[in-house]
Amino acid sequence: MVNAQFPITTTPRYNFPLQVGNLQLPLHLIELSIQTLHKTHHQLEPTIPQQLSTIDDAALNTQLVRLKPNKQHITIFAIDVSSIRLGETSQGTLLAIRGAIVWKSKNSYQYVRLGPFPFHIPNHMKNDLHRLLNGSTYNAKAPTNLAPSTLYLQTRLTGILERWMQRSINEVTQNSIILWDGNMVAGTPDTPIKTMSKMLADARQQQNIILAFSKVTRLMLYNRKLTDLLLRQSPPCILMTQNYPQYENSIRNMGRINVAKLSKSSCTFRLDIDANLPQTEVIQAVQTLIGNDSIQNSYPETLRLAHIYSTFTAAEVLGLQRYISQESSLKMISRPNIRRILFGRFGKGPEG
Amino acid sequence: MRLFRKEGATIQIISFPGEDVEKGDYLKITDSTGKNLIVQVIDIEYANIPGILEELLRNHNNSLVQGEDVDPFEVANHIAFIQDAHLLICKIRAIDVQGELVHASSWLPSRTKARVKRLTVDQLLASDKNSFMTHLGATTRRKDIHIDVRALDGALNIITGKKGTGKSHVSKLLVLSLVSNGAPVVVLDLNGEYTGLNRDASGKPNSYQDKILVLTPGKNFKLTLNQLNIRVMLSILVNTLHLPGTSAREFKRIWHYLNERNALTLTNLGEAIRDWKCNQHVRDALFSRYYTLLHSGLLTDQAACTSLESELAKIQHGGGVIINLRDTSLTNRYIVVEYVLAKLIELLTKRRLRSIFLFAEEAHLYLRETYWNDIVTRMRHFGAFTTFVTNQPDTIRESIYRQADSLFLFNFTSSHDLETISRASKIDSETIKSVARDLPPHHCLVLGNVVNDFPVVAKIRELDVLAMGETRLFFSESQGSS
Ligand SMILES: Nc1ncnc2c1ncn2[C@@H]1O[C@H](COP(=O)(O)OP(=O)(O)OP(=O)(O)O)[C@@H](O)[C@H]1O
Ligand SMILES: [Mg+2]
Repeated sequence: MVNAQFPITTTPRYNFPLQVGNLQLPLHLIELSIQTLHKTHHQLEPTIPQQLSTIDDAALNTQLVRLKPNKQHITIFAIDVSSIRLGETSQGTLLAIRGAIVWKSKNSYQYVRLGPFPFHIPNHMKNDLHRLLNGSTYNAKAPTNLAPSTLYLQTRLTGILERWMQRSINEVTQNSIILWDGNMVAGTPDTPIKTMSKMLADARQQQNIILAFSKVTRLMLYNRKLTDLLLRQSPPCILMTQNYPQYENSIRNMGRINVAKLSKSSCTFRLDIDANLPQTEVIQAVQTLIGNDSIQNSYPETLRLAHIYSTFTAAEVLGLQRYISQESSLKMISRPNIRRILFGRFGKGPEG
Repeated sequence: MRLFRKEGATIQIISFPGEDVEKGDYLKITDSTGKNLIVQVIDIEYANIPGILEELLRNHNNSLVQGEDVDPFEVANHIAFIQDAHLLICKIRAIDVQGELVHASSWLPSRTKARVKRLTVDQLLASDKNSFMTHLGATTRRKDIHIDVRALDGALNIITGKKGTGKSHVSKLLVLSLVSNGAPVVVLDLNGEYTGLNRDASGKPNSYQDKILVLTPGKNFKLTLNQLNIRVMLSILVNTLHLPGTSAREFKRIWHYLNERNALTLTNLGEAIRDWKCNQHVRDALFSRYYTLLHSGLLTDQAACTSLESELAKIQHGGGVIINLRDTSLTNRYIVVEYVLAKLIELLTKRRLRSIFLFAEEAHLYLRETYWNDIVTRMRHFGAFTTFVTNQPDTIRESIYRQADSLFLFNFTSSHDLETISRASKIDSETIKSVARDLPPHHCLVLGNVVNDFPVVAKIRELDVLAMGETRLFFSESQGSS
């Protein structure tokens, strides 16, 4: 559905350069965006996701692996998505999301950005929207009366775009490294187990290796934060865990949790890699990553760029606010302090 | 446009793409109180939106990272609109209370209710169309600018700017409009540039033919000793020819002796010096000055020669006497100017001249230190109203800038020059520095009385007069084309 009030000029099939040529726009997301800026009714129930929190130390096996950069050429993709609150209307919240794909081939980086997509989340429609969102990923469970928070819906919208981009990239590329921002936790409304296992299986099929980087993690091991374990080790190295718990309630981590210190720096990152991949392949992939991408503060440049290109700047927020006021009938009753939203931004990543 | 901030007399206004505002424009800020704040844009900057640097680095000129946006909602246009917002740095020029303009900055309009509109210059400058209005030129928006020549009356004016920007041109325009309005004008024309004012561009006599009189020292302008009174003579001898005091006293006696006998001629003067009973050193000193004067070509015994006085009488009701100092030696320039100024003072004090408009090009090249103060104080009091024209602003003393009623400021790039002017002028230095640096040739920032204290950038109109005294170039145009 394309609303006449919202002129959309793009063709469904966008001409991407390079291997990304077959990427299609997340049309359902655009439609959703248009609908939220107007009035739609759907009914859905909220589900608050839970997170893996601790690991039983005793059950855990770890192995420190020193890495040697492998310069054999490989294309590296990175995907990141950001969202930002634009302001409040009398009925709810306005926000926008945007995704960025950056890839490095030989010595050049390129990017494609999707969005920004503005959304209006009226308070009285949160449940409907939630139901709609869940409908877009898997069948809803029994509805409850509890309305999800706006922040939660914001996360969900962002997640939809992010998963869609991750899937799309995997479809259009082979023998590449794909960097994600985050992890491989599934069983959440965002990412049902079925979805994640299909994504990982598709990646294996395409000979792609997904490396999911995350900075902040609450995972503890030997009473220390997982990411602190490598502080004294000289880079590049990776601490690999085995036989860690994969389940907690309905949540399942489908990646193997590793801690990576890829360059001289005080930073280490949690690095999740498809648990179904053999260890040698995993090590090989990380070595190829550090042999091909530039690594700063233990973080791959391609992923850092994806983060930078997806996050919003003040002018973009102002421009989006102007877009809303000119192209829709929504009236903003409060605008967030530009400096504050930028410093406390919603986008994820090392600087996030 | 939106009112953003006030700092002292500076108002900052945000303007968005499509709101066509230029440096020098006037804006009217109105709120519901019925008062209007009149401000002038003196600088335009990029609006400082947080994060814009990051954005520019991210999006442009980055050969390392290239890419594109899939922007189905076309938000990019709106973002560009914000990114291209400008910050207008404005100076408060006046408050308009029910049509009455007050040069003050005490009132501040409401930021939320204020509306900002552009104001045209003709809405600010004297609007009554009387015969004293002179077409000066046009604004950068091609609106005609007229000034009331009466604003030059009783005033001290300065025209300055770097070389070749159009100073003499506007000076000529002012001279002609004064003449047209019946005023007497004397021009100290260093380069003989004003001698073509009585002919049109093709060289044919124009309507000023009988009104612009050119006096060229040593040619049609020579002095008899009778025309020079002893005070002027002594001043020339002492100040220009550095005659020592004792010799000067002796000279005075000789002069009186000849004068009493009605025998003031060059020949008699020479003989008198020769025969005068005095010390040999004094005689030598007097002789050396005598010969300098004799060979200057400025003095004559022929009584029939043009007198400044009679020429000035002709322009009493509108006209100009151009003192053409081109090809006149440095010493002669001093002598001539000394004589002219003394004569003007004499005629003014004796009320044989009501008043005179004096235009002085690069006055530091012929005007002795002591005359500067005389010109701006004593002579002004008697009715000599001077316009200084110079490309070296630091040759005019700060105190003179302070007394200037109007300033025609052309382009300056040297920050030293800009500093000199802005320090001394009544208008805020920010305006001067910011505007003068960007003035194209033939454009000037007009400040002061002539523009009702509303600084205006004017492109000076062309003049249909014969161009004279232009720099002689080795590679002339005709050489290039033939
Ligand atoms: N407003 C104008 N319209 C057309 N021509 C102009 C204008 N102003 C100046 N000119 C021309 O530009 C040239 C330089 O102008 P002008 O001699 O007035 O400059 P200036 O500032 O007096 O230079 P200088 O410092 O050498 O005395 C002249 O040929 C003059 O005729
Ligand atoms: Mg000149």
